[in-house]
Amino acid sequence: MPVDSKRICGPEITKNPYNFLINGNEKGELIINGKRRDGRKPDQARPLFLRPGLISQAKGSAYIEQNHTKVICAVYGPREVIRKEDFSMKGQITCEFKFATFSCKKKRGHQQDSEEKDYSVQLLEALEPAVQLDKFPKSQVNLYLTVLQNDGSALAASITCASLALAHAGIEMFDLVVGSSVRIHGNEILVDPCEEEEFHSNTNIGVDEGGVVLGLMPSINQISALTSKGELNFDTTSQAVKTCIQNCQKVYPVLQNCLVNSLKEKD
Amino acid sequence: MTDIIYSEAEKTYILHGIQENYREDGRGCEDYRHMEIETGVVSNTTGSARVRLANTDLLVGIKAELGSPSPDNPNCGCIEFFVDCSANATPQFEGRGGEELATEISNVLTRAYSNSTSLDLKSLCIIPKQQCWILYIDVLFLECGGNLFDAASVGVKAALFNTKIPNVTVNQDEDDMEIELSDDPFDVQRIDIKSAPCIVTLSKIGHHHVVDASQKEEACCLARLMMGVTADSTITALKKEGWGSLNPESIFEMMESGKNVGKVLNASLLSLLEDEEKGSKRKTVGFLK
Repeated sequence: MPVDSKRICGPEITKNPYNFLINGNEKGELIINGKRRDGRKPDQARPLFLRPGLISQAKGSAYIEQNHTKVICAVYGPREVIRKEDFSMKGQITCEFKFATFSCKKKRGHQQDSEEKDYSVQLLEALEPAVQLDKFPKSQVNLYLTVLQNDGSALAASITCASLALAHAGIEMFDLVVGSSVRIHGNEILVDPCEEEEFHSNTNIGVDEGGVVLGLMPSINQISALTSKGELNFDTTSQAVKTCIQNCQKVYPVLQNCLVNSLKEKD
Repeated sequence: MTDIIYSEAEKTYILHGIQENYREDGRGCEDYRHMEIETGVVSNTTGSARVRLANTDLLVGIKAELGSPSPDNPNCGCIEFFVDCSANATPQFEGRGGEELATEISNVLTRAYSNSTSLDLKSLCIIPKQQCWILYIDVLFLECGGNLFDAASVGVKAALFNTKIPNVTVNQDEDDMEIELSDDPFDVQRIDIKSAPCIVTLSKIGHHHVVDASQKEEACCLARLMMGVTADSTITALKKEGWGSLNPESIFEMMESGKNVGKVLNASLLSLLEDEEKGSKRKTVGFLK
């Protein structure tokens, strides 16, 4: 990957100081006495804060906050497709996901890395089934997501945030998409994991360690996104999927409420 | 996938067939097409394999190189996936046309292998924090006939089985470490692939799902579920793909059949590879097919 020398004035390679932590990789138990390290119960999600319409010049926008996970999303369009060869009678959606360079524990690059590209594709696939693409032929809608601060479950938060922004932009949809993620840790399923609870392939060893992210359209009961990481047994996976679905259904009225309130404020 | 436009009548024909558990080429819904696997086909690689699944044709080459381990994981080697959709396969891949698909395949492969049990990365370490083996696993598509993900994962697993990394000895004199590479072709290290996953793609067509969709069937399919399944039928990766959505019940059904199909696929692949290793009577085909 070539480095953008015009923007980065520092040395090409720097090291993350956290790698030199003493006992850095030895982390304690995730659950002590039935409670997680931040005091939550295993099935308890973090408090959710949502606000649509904070980027005034965008067609639609939304902001989501789950304690220290903060994501902002802007929607532009529908507008003309620039490249002629991309012509299609269906509307198109583009999606760009980016971690702000300072948002994570490790420093992120200015350009999209492979993880961010992967997340962009996952977001697109989560949202496409929800949008009525035939309502805006020959045109495209652009979505931009920026994670301002990452404390775990960034993809799930982004799915929720993006669907809220699409709805706020007045793009016709079949339903809102609600994102939810869980961490699987042995027999326990931890809802809405924070950064230290998230699955990392190098430190979490063994079967039934992993994570699942799911996007659900609750009122039509359709799953638009499903991804998992880590080695999981079949039963644990289905249990995790069920937990995610329940969690999405809990969040759904909050999203609806938030949209209704934002319209009331407009009047 | 490579897009082909079919008429509505043709799509309905395929859809009705699948409802009756009878597909356009005579298979049942959970059957794979005929697969040919040959390992050790390119001499300059550390391990290589060629897979032909009906019309899907691909070549996997693995190169082992020495490098320094990542600071997050100082005691492990690493694997890097790269997928090349060559324009030989279809003119749509010309220039940067195949890039999107290629990244998607390599991301799914990376995810399926990114857990501690699939491959023993610790065995690829030479000197902790300083030297390790880095396996560059490159997949080259020569022809596209549907179901690229499954074929790629089978190819990767076969190529890993075939990989022979030369043994190294570390001589330590005072502060200097010296690495010596054995030049004996039989003094090699093999990679254990017993728990490496294979990807099973389940395509939802109408109200039913099929494994190993052909190109025609892929054109009829709105959403598919990809699963990394190991021989012990654990799931190492899940991904829903495509612009349709799925209801929860059908996802559980698809996972169930993916698990069963994956188990059989892994078992038959392993027995085939072991047969080939023993020196079977099958004559080598190379690229002449």
